[in-house]
Amino acid sequence: MLNILWRSIKWRFQNPISIAVTVLQPLIWLVLYSAVAGQIMQNLGISNYTAFILPGIIVLVTLGACCSGGIINFIMKTNGSFYRILIAPIRRSSIVLGQMLEAVLVSFLEVAILCIVSFFFSVTVASGIAGILLMILLIFMTAFFMSGITYTISLLLPNEVIYETIMNAIVLPIFFLSPALFPLENLTGGLKIAIMLNPFTHIINALRRLIFEDTILINDIVPVIGLFTVMCCISFALAFWRLKKETTH
Amino acid sequence: MSAIEVKKLVKQYKNGVRALDDLNIKVNKGEIFSLLGPNGAGKSSLINILTTYYTPTSGNVTVLGKDLFKEPAWIRTQIACVAQHISIDAHLSLMENMIFQSRIYKVEAKVAKQRIESLIDSFELSDYLKYPTVSYSGGVKRRLDIAMNMVSSPKILFLDEPTVGMDVNSRKNMWKMLLKIRDEYKTTIFLTTHYLEEAEHLSDTICIMKEGKDLAQGTPSSLRNYISQNIIRIAFSDTGKAKKCKDALDGMELVNFTSIRNNSVFASVGDSRTDYPKVNKFLLDHMVEFNAIEISEPSLEDVFLALTSANRGEE
Repeated sequence: MLNILWRSIKWRFQNPISIAVTVLQPLIWLVLYSAVAGQIMQNLGISNYTAFILPGIIVLVTLGACCSGGIINFIMKTNGSFYRILIAPIRRSSIVLGQMLEAVLVSFLEVAILCIVSFFFSVTVASGIAGILLMILLIFMTAFFMSGITYTISLLLPNEVIYETIMNAIVLPIFFLSPALFPLENLTGGLKIAIMLNPFTHIINALRRLIFEDTILINDIVPVIGLFTVMCCISFALAFWRLKKETTH
Repeated sequence: MSAIEVKKLVKQYKNGVRALDDLNIKVNKGEIFSLLGPNGAGKSSLINILTTYYTPTSGNVTVLGKDLFKEPAWIRTQIACVAQHISIDAHLSLMENMIFQSRIYKVEAKVAKQRIESLIDSFELSDYLKYPTVSYSGGVKRRLDIAMNMVSSPKILFLDEPTVGMDVNSRKNMWKMLLKIRDEYKTTIFLTTHYLEEAEHLSDTICIMKEGKDLAQGTPSSLRNYISQNIIRIAFSDTGKAKKCKDALDGMELVNFTSIRNNSVFASVGDSRTDYPKVNKFLLDHMVEFNAIEISEPSLEDVFLALTSANRGEE
């Protein structure tokens, strides 16, 4: 697993544009959008809008980093090493985990960039060290879940153009059907139901509470961790199943 | 003990294509075994099954005495495969590619270091160590590809059309390398090709297959006996005259097939002794100017054409 991880990281750092592209758009949201919309949001009682949208932007950047992780499968298929690894004496679970963890690591790198930038906009984590640790866990779960999904989808699709089109069609609705940019309180009806059904809504809300509130409410965090533990298991099982299917032609 | 034994192997894809149809082959340990066949013969399907990538529809395969379908994980530790397309990681250096391959095959670091040094030396790769792999020519990339696959010291090395698209010199260098692998590393080589010259030059055993079936298997010399030496060679001063003669002979009922090599037409007939005067008379009657005519020993190409043409006739 560590070999696969090492090889994928080598690819990533030789292609830094894949990091730049996925972090650039969320940075623009964080810096420009929060500056423009921040003044209006102050009327709604949101004192630091950059801090308010940071959790949603963290999820957006994680989704982007994981999507670019799926591209590695297409590159490996094109250069032939995908087949070479599949016939090597290496466990399928190690192949999947190695690639998923690479996407998780890149997600953390990009989230770190966002957090450093946010620091200059007076964003702090009110819940302290314990809150930061919980945030790391929640981000890990988000990235792990998403990297499993993107891994599975990348093996289901014939080429990277279709893959990128489909991933864009998935990521943007997930982002906009969440409380990433606006508070959820004033929403009603079908739209609110759709947003509540989006699992990333609960991650964003949990991260936001950890940023704004100095007391950690276990009842708020544990159900989210439980939900994402189940989702991570399903996501890994799907990726594992799809890779195994590659050798059952 | 045989390295590979395939019995009644069938591979039928979901779209109904039967790539392998009751195939039987036997590969001896330490030999170069060539699988020869036209495009679509099922060569790649077979190699994909033997390397544990595809699963067959039915049949039995034993690799180094173990059942391929019951113990694929063990078999993966004993084999390596150089695929038709070069499979090096262009983002890794030559040394990193070798190290990565040794790690996925769990070769101990100290042993791996020695093997890598020896392989770099054997495959004449030391001059390229300082350059990025992406800048290598196709021939050097192919050499690295094979060297990488030798890092694990496989008992069996599969090569799927390794010289396709290579120039004459690169191909000859590749042949030398394969003979070296067999002789120095005692590795069994299983090779697919559609170059008859390559199969004839390299192989201890050749299997000719078509449409998923094994048509003949044996040493290059034993395969020549398949067509009982019924070949008549007619020599010309240039290829143009040979082509004209070939066209004329193709219309003769007693000629099974013809081919041209080195300004000569090779005609396969039913019985070379009785048909020789008939062909000679035909040429004289048609005022064909030739330099020489003789009963000739068949080449592998004649065997290949004889077998594949006969097979076509049966359909």
